[in-house]
Amino acid sequence: MDKKLIGEFEELLGKSRVLSETEELLCYSYDATSKDFMPEVVVFPLNAEEISKIVKLCLKYNNTPIVGRGSGSGFSGGSLPLKGGVVVSFTKMNHITELDEENMFVTVEPGIINADLKTYLAEKGYFYPPDPASYEFSTVGGNVAECSGGPSAVKYGVTKDYVAALEVITGEGEIIHTGSKTVKNVSGYNLAHLFTGSEGTLGLFSKITLKILSKPEEKSLILVSYDDIDKGFNAAISLLKLRNRPSMLEFMDKFSIESVKSIFKSDIIKITGKFLFIIEADGSKEEVDKSIGEYKNILERFSPVFLFASEKSEDKKVIMDARKAISPSLRKYGDLKINNDIAVPINKIPDMLAFLEETSKKYGIPVINFGHFGDGNIHVNIMLDKSNAEMVEKGGKAKYDVLKKTIELGGSLSGEHGIGLEKKEFMKLKYDDYYMNLLKNIKKVFDPQNIINPGKIF
Amino acid sequence: MEFFSLLSENKTYLNCVHCGKCLPVCPSYNIGFNEFLSPRGRVRIVLTDYTDSIPLRAGKVRESMSACLLCGRCEKVCPNDVNIVELVINEKIKLEEFSNKSFSSGKLALNILKNKREILLKTALKIANIPLVKKLSGRNSPMPEGKSFIGSRDLIFNADTSLEKQPSQFQALKNGKAMRKSAVEDSKNIFKVGYFSGCVFNGIYPQISVDTVTSLTKNGVEVFVPKMQGCCGLPFISSGDLKSFKELAVNNALAFKGKKLDYIVTSCASCSYSINKLYPKYFNENDENYTEILDFSKKLISIWSFFNELKKHGFEIKKGKLNNETEAVFHIPCHLSNMPDFKPASAYEKLIGEPGLIADKIEGLKLKPLKYNYCCGNGGMFNVRHYDLSKKITKRKFEEIKEAAPQEILTSCSGCIFSLKDQSGILKHSQSIPVNHLIGIYARSLRS
Repeated sequence: MDKKLIGEFEELLGKSRVLSETEELLCYSYDATSKDFMPEVVVFPLNAEEISKIVKLCLKYNNTPIVGRGSGSGFSGGSLPLKGGVVVSFTKMNHITELDEENMFVTVEPGIINADLKTYLAEKGYFYPPDPASYEFSTVGGNVAECSGGPSAVKYGVTKDYVAALEVITGEGEIIHTGSKTVKNVSGYNLAHLFTGSEGTLGLFSKITLKILSKPEEKSLILVSYDDIDKGFNAAISLLKLRNRPSMLEFMDKFSIESVKSIFKSDIIKITGKFLFIIEADGSKEEVDKSIGEYKNILERFSPVFLFASEKSEDKKVIMDARKAISPSLRKYGDLKINNDIAVPINKIPDMLAFLEETSKKYGIPVINFGHFGDGNIHVNIMLDKSNAEMVEKGGKAKYDVLKKTIELGGSLSGEHGIGLEKKEFMKLKYDDYYMNLLKNIKKVFDPQNIINPGKIF
Repeated sequence: MEFFSLLSENKTYLNCVHCGKCLPVCPSYNIGFNEFLSPRGRVRIVLTDYTDSIPLRAGKVRESMSACLLCGRCEKVCPNDVNIVELVINEKIKLEEFSNKSFSSGKLALNILKNKREILLKTALKIANIPLVKKLSGRNSPMPEGKSFIGSRDLIFNADTSLEKQPSQFQALKNGKAMRKSAVEDSKNIFKVGYFSGCVFNGIYPQISVDTVTSLTKNGVEVFVPKMQGCCGLPFISSGDLKSFKELAVNNALAFKGKKLDYIVTSCASCSYSINKLYPKYFNENDENYTEILDFSKKLISIWSFFNELKKHGFEIKKGKLNNETEAVFHIPCHLSNMPDFKPASAYEKLIGEPGLIADKIEGLKLKPLKYNYCCGNGGMFNVRHYDLSKKITKRKFEEIKEAAPQEILTSCSGCIFSLKDQSGILKHSQSIPVNHLIGIYARSLRS
């Protein structure tokens, strides 16, 4: 990199907002994947104008690549500086700029932590539903770039369902405003939704306007387990057909149940069975009581192995701890995890789970699955021993088989993590050359010099 | 060299999957959202240093490590059990081994602490508090509040002895031998505990030691205070000086050795962290006084855990009453931890953990919640090394304190008291909020 570019950044932002020493850059070379790439400089802008100038300087200096970064908690390499260059850290842009209570929209800077936004809104009686597992530390900017979702998607949808308007800096350094604070908006192409889930490849966000809802007063949980996968499947499908469908419908397969059993100790529940669900109802006190009663009746009809319902916050914590215990408990199966977040149509979940069991047997490696039943999003964890080269190779083959099957079943390579670096070689399983060229041409329109997050998705 | 064996023992940096969960809880990351000063960044630096994959400069490594407050908040949220604090301490020890033994105010302070030159310490602090010196140094230092608690003799305090109402008896108590005999004969003394004051509650805020002992004796507990005890060592290990840390640990362990105590109690959260968590980690069977260190470490509990034990043994904790109703907040020190089997029962216990047990016993005390319970910014020697950064963290702490608008700020750690008392540049002088130890207000309520 031209040292003059670093000098220009320092002049623009001041020395304290530019990092260029090896030891500092090292701390921006990774995300939650196991890959790493060193940037050449890290900059901390405070507004759209500064970002625009940063992009224009990069164009001036040899089309230096630029990668946006929030908390660097992604699972697909979206914030990794694959080709070196500049990392734009949004962490200092973490303010709420407007709460529009009449129209029910909130406008934030991209660096705000999802949980901080949730807390701010909750105090005022509002609710921003998207809840990726990382919501306590991932940024809203990152969530929009990856179109993140979480357990609440079954009732409330994912990030794209809340993005109303964006302020974006394109690959030419131009500041654009897209979308509006209206539910109805048909005036030209819907660029706000194109940017959402674009994995930071089309531009850098500087402001995000999100739709908000009124906060549900109450929440209550049911834990239920079945010995037979078909019974469990039918029970869960019945819940989804209700008008008051659950606000969470998480499942664990028998391998995750086994895995959690070993570290999960509780006096009140003994986890057992082959197909387990964590179900939540939300709403007013009366609505929650009614829903829980209704859910229980339906679930009982399919002869569960056990069913546990509780309104007590201590019990809720125990139940959610069981869910959270899955990931750490997996470590005993191997020190290398190939983490896939495939999504299949809901009615294909039993087929997919059967296939995953076959795959595990075929290669002789643990494949442990859990996820969000309500949207068919399955976290497929292929557990490997890092030091065993043969096993790692088998893991790669298993991943290919799983993604191929996903496409055959009409599903998606990634439900919520994105393609990034991790899955770009599999894009051809889903799309032909013509379609891939359409995607590439769209990128060219926004970023003709290919400087914004190059090397991702395709 | 010593640190090589330490580093080879802890390879938990390999468990780090860079998820980023530790970022929002880290006080130093929150100053400027720079990952170079974050737990995840530090773990990566340690990994890189250990594997030698990229050459790193000691100066920059030190810059990142020395801004760690050793608060341990990152470890609490880490899903993969990375021993982040230990890794940082080991890196500091390694850096210290290589560094020149150059002079610095931090090192001078450490030297004074280690050699128990309290007169020197007090003189230095008094000089630091002269307005002109304060102005030139640009920092506030704590002002010693009275004569040191521990003098030249061991102290014994019999149960039900009021320290302040009977000053003559207080003097007499210094005659250790006589009182110990009477204490043994007194059947009311069910528990006999040692008191570990820590350097701050001995030399700088001695009233807190008086209040701790009062609270214990009024609850029918006999208290033994050996004069030989000194600093717990935390400021030293936090500066990478393992040798001094271990010398002090041995000194403290031997001071309480063979005294037939049921427990050793401390009212400083950082001292309990150092003694309970760090002593066992940095000694092994090859160390001469390993057994004594382990015994001491196992026997030492926080004042709050001790009252919890009393309750479990079926004793009614004495109730007190304040003359004036007081609305307060309790700042939970980062280093304060509950007994593993502590289950909160009352509203105050749910709010603040084990100390809630004592808050419940003070009539007229109303505890208000703190929204986030942020760190106070002290972090052992952190506020000496990085006064400006420390004050930024304290300022953030005061945002939530101001929102709660208490009449008094309570806590239970010497470092937190230091930082919370330093309100200049944060609150106007006329709006300053008094800071006290919760045991101080409990002792006050027992007296009135």
